[in-house]
Amino acid sequence: MDQERAWIEQALQGDRKAFGQLVRAYERPVYNLTYRMLGDPAEAEDAAQETFLRAYAKLATYQPGRKFVNWVLSIASHHCIDRLRRRQRAPQLSLDGPSPPVWLASDAPQPDQVVSKKEQRERVRRVLDALPPDYRAAVVLRYWYDLSYREIAETMDTTESAIKSRLHRARQMMAESLQAA
Amino acid sequence: MEVKRQCDQSAEMALRMSLALDGQLDAGERRALDAHLATCGTCQAEWEAMQAISVMLSRSAMIGPPLGFAVRVERRLGERARKRRQVFGSVAVLTSSLSLATLTVVAVAILIGAVLAWQWLGPLPAVQQGTEVASKLASGAGLLGKGATLFLGDLLLQYGPPLALALALGLVLLAGLWIWLVARRPGGSRSHNGYA
Repeated sequence: MDQERAWIEQALQGDRKAFGQLVRAYERPVYNLTYRMLGDPAEAEDAAQETFLRAYAKLATYQPGRKFVNWVLSIASHHCIDRLRRRQRAPQLSLDGPSPPVWLASDAPQPDQVVSKKEQRERVRRVLDALPPDYRAAVVLRYWYDLSYREIAETMDTTESAIKSRLHRARQMMAESLQAA
Repeated sequence: MEVKRQCDQSAEMALRMSLALDGQLDAGERRALDAHLATCGTCQAEWEAMQAISVMLSRSAMIGPPLGFAVRVERRLGERARKRRQVFGSVAVLTSSLSLATLTVVAVAILIGAVLAWQWLGPLPAVQQGTEVASKLASGAGLLGKGATLFLGDLLLQYGPPLALALALGLVLLAGLWIWLVARRPGGSRSHNGYA
């Protein structure tokens, strides 16, 4: 923690190497969030890089009372939500046609069976892709970062009751898609 | 085809299921949920689906970026800083050039004013004792001054004070902008938020 403070302090003085240390410390959680939100490795990398560039640009606004990683995750989630909304406004065309809407295909292995990491990752991606951006962010922050309702609300700049509602609706949607499969 | 039986409490129960998955129900609420699930097939099916999803997401490991991610971020930071420096440099040169031009205008105006004053009040004793070259230069300047006399005289008599005020204000603004740019130049010390 003291080391983190020192890096932040040095980065505030314009030391990009110190900021690089912060990037190394938090690249995994940030990339995981952007990947879970966007579902595409290349876009996730770009969004994660952009997240750190934005964090550096507004480092002076960071409040030390807050966890630094949560502050960066907040920047990442807002950025990803913006990207997803832009994507919805300008849908991308795929030569392969739309992905199958069912996240558990009939010939897919059952949850209690051993599946490869790749299949598992793809299945998770499809589940998350079916959710609206705000719901998706709440689910990712809850399951991968184990954040409390209050922390998720802070990260997403909203209220705890809104987070409760989003998680509830997201789980209902995911459960419905599973039941429909 | 089997028709799914609807539950009139499904919305409320779904919220409770979600809270139960996050460990947010107290013992009484949990018992009530379990009692309902024991009697309602629709909600039981939904509960099982929610649990399956929850297990799948909980078991999904965190994914890290490809190797060299931090280096790529540092490179992009460097590129952005370089672009910022270029923009700031251009604006700084522009404002300093404008400041210099304004100062030149002021200096020329003072010179013309001095020549005019000399013509109206007569040569000063010190200048009278000057060299011949100096007096020739002075008379040359005097000719130039004569040309500008009519124009500047009218201009100054009519708009003198507001013109001088606008000139001074512009000069102060340009100098202020230039100082701000120098103080905020990329690579200089960044603003501090009281972080200790």
